[in-house]
Amino acid sequence: MTVVVAVVALVVAAASYVTWLARRIDRLYARVEAAYAVLDAQLVRRAAAAVQLAMYAGSHGQLDPIVAEAVTAAARAAMDAGVQAREAVENDLSRELRAAFAGPVSTDDASARLVDELAVAATKVGYARQFHNDAVRDTRALRFSWLPRLLSLSRGRPMPRYFEIDDTALPARSRLGVDR
Amino acid sequence: MRVGLVCPYTWEVPGGVQSHVRDLAEALADLGHSVSVLAPADDDTPLPPYVSSAGRALPVPYNGSVARLAFGPLSAARVRRWLREGSFDVLHVHEPAAPSLSLLACWAADGPIVATFHTANPRSRVMAAAQAALQPAMEKITGRIAVSSAARRTVVEHLGADAVLIPNGVSVAAFRGARPLLGWPGAGGAVGFLGRFDEPRKGFNVLLTAFAVLASHRPGLRLLVAGRGDAAEAVEELPAPLRERVVFLGMISEVAKAQFFASIDVYVAPNTGQESFGIILLEAMAAGTPIVASNIDAFRRVLDDGRAGQLFAVGVASALADVLGRVIDDPGGRAELVAAGTKVAERYDWPHIARHVVGVYETVIAAVPTPAAEDPMRAREEEVTR
Repeated sequence: MTVVVAVVALVVAAASYVTWLARRIDRLYARVEAAYAVLDAQLVRRAAAAVQLAMYAGSHGQLDPIVAEAVTAAARAAMDAGVQAREAVENDLSRELRAAFAGPVSTDDASARLVDELAVAATKVGYARQFHNDAVRDTRALRFSWLPRLLSLSRGRPMPRYFEIDDTALPARSRLGVDR
Repeated sequence: MRVGLVCPYTWEVPGGVQSHVRDLAEALADLGHSVSVLAPADDDTPLPPYVSSAGRALPVPYNGSVARLAFGPLSAARVRRWLREGSFDVLHVHEPAAPSLSLLACWAADGPIVATFHTANPRSRVMAAAQAALQPAMEKITGRIAVSSAARRTVVEHLGADAVLIPNGVSVAAFRGARPLLGWPGAGGAVGFLGRFDEPRKGFNVLLTAFAVLASHRPGLRLLVAGRGDAAEAVEELPAPLRERVVFLGMISEVAKAQFFASIDVYVAPNTGQESFGIILLEAMAAGTPIVASNIDAFRRVLDDGRAGQLFAVGVASALADVLGRVIDDPGGRAELVAAGTKVAERYDWPHIARHVVGVYETVIAAVPTPAAEDPMRAREEEVTR
């Protein structure tokens, strides 16, 4: 009798542990997905801000029209890119922005506001990318641990991928004076 | 935005995390957000209106010193009630790896969680063993913030995670325009030190040796010291005539700190151990006091590679005497240091830092899973995937 009770207790304990693990994995996948949605939205916002700034600065003699055209083209490419090419085109945009605003750029009130908007968007891209990759790391860590692997608790789901771009894009004035 | 902040350490005990949480709460409120703080507190402590007490904390040896922590079923129940009543848009826990309220809050919460990591310590076996137990709580955190690159390194090494860097802030307004203590700084000049002067890594002995060198041929020079320790013992090795030129204030309040800085011509930070951040330097800069500091990573970074404060070789009293003497003799150079320091302090002013924190909130609030039908962002993502 005691043996039966012990076995039943053990099975119940094991089952609830596995259920808990499966719930953790579910939650992590949801976190990755939501974090990617934010990253996507912030990248789109950054590209839109870049287009606005480049068009304004280019047509008001604050930026070489050829450079402005390059920034606009890179930003439009970023907005149109599919998932596979995304990292490469976003990197291109970062590079164009860095090149365009490397030196001192003359601004008026309107373009200063656009620069600030772009800087805020770029900062948030940094946050969003960090948080997305954190979620990916946590998910991968749990997927790779032995029990979830043994029971294939994440069967049928793709391994989440890191999103790696250089997002230290932009106007230095927006950044804090640490860890440059 | 409704923000819930959790402070793991007893509210009325002075400490870096506590003042960070207080200043952040007030800065967020000034930006128009609705803020509630949950912290352990003794029942009879008067609390600001935005703080809820989670009850008394017990003294526990943790992390090399004694921390007062709140942990257990009673605390957990209070955390759950506070979460339910607050219905926050974002929960922001501080130091969640400490076994206290922040960890309890991570376990209990469902919505978006931001966590700020403050301490920097080398990887230890205890922490490594704790990591596995902490992981389920840690993986609920949507966004992590570290207050210094050292704290960030700790997150990477201990938790295998990463964090965005948003430094500590300083309330510039609180340090501006304070009145000096009566008779200070005086015609002969005054040098200041603040901190536990009996703790070797604070480097008070380095300063004392340098002071002895300088004071022997500058008859009016005085040293003003604030902080905990045995004053008589601290000046034992100083020649008797110099002893009375070292004045000890004992522990001082936050308000008196501004007065302390106004009472000296130069602030000296002779620390020999690694500091994770150097908030005291920001406070000196906010007060408009020139700084001489040892050349450790954290100080060099905050002082803009020496532009906002003179640096000297770590632990070398003769080097300090040299640099300090030059700064005391050069009012023009001091004014330049103050001008550069003021600019640095403004970058770290709380309203500015709080805006960055709000940027993190905005990023995590959107990043929390919601039912697909209600979430336009998710619809967009599916479009992109297809």
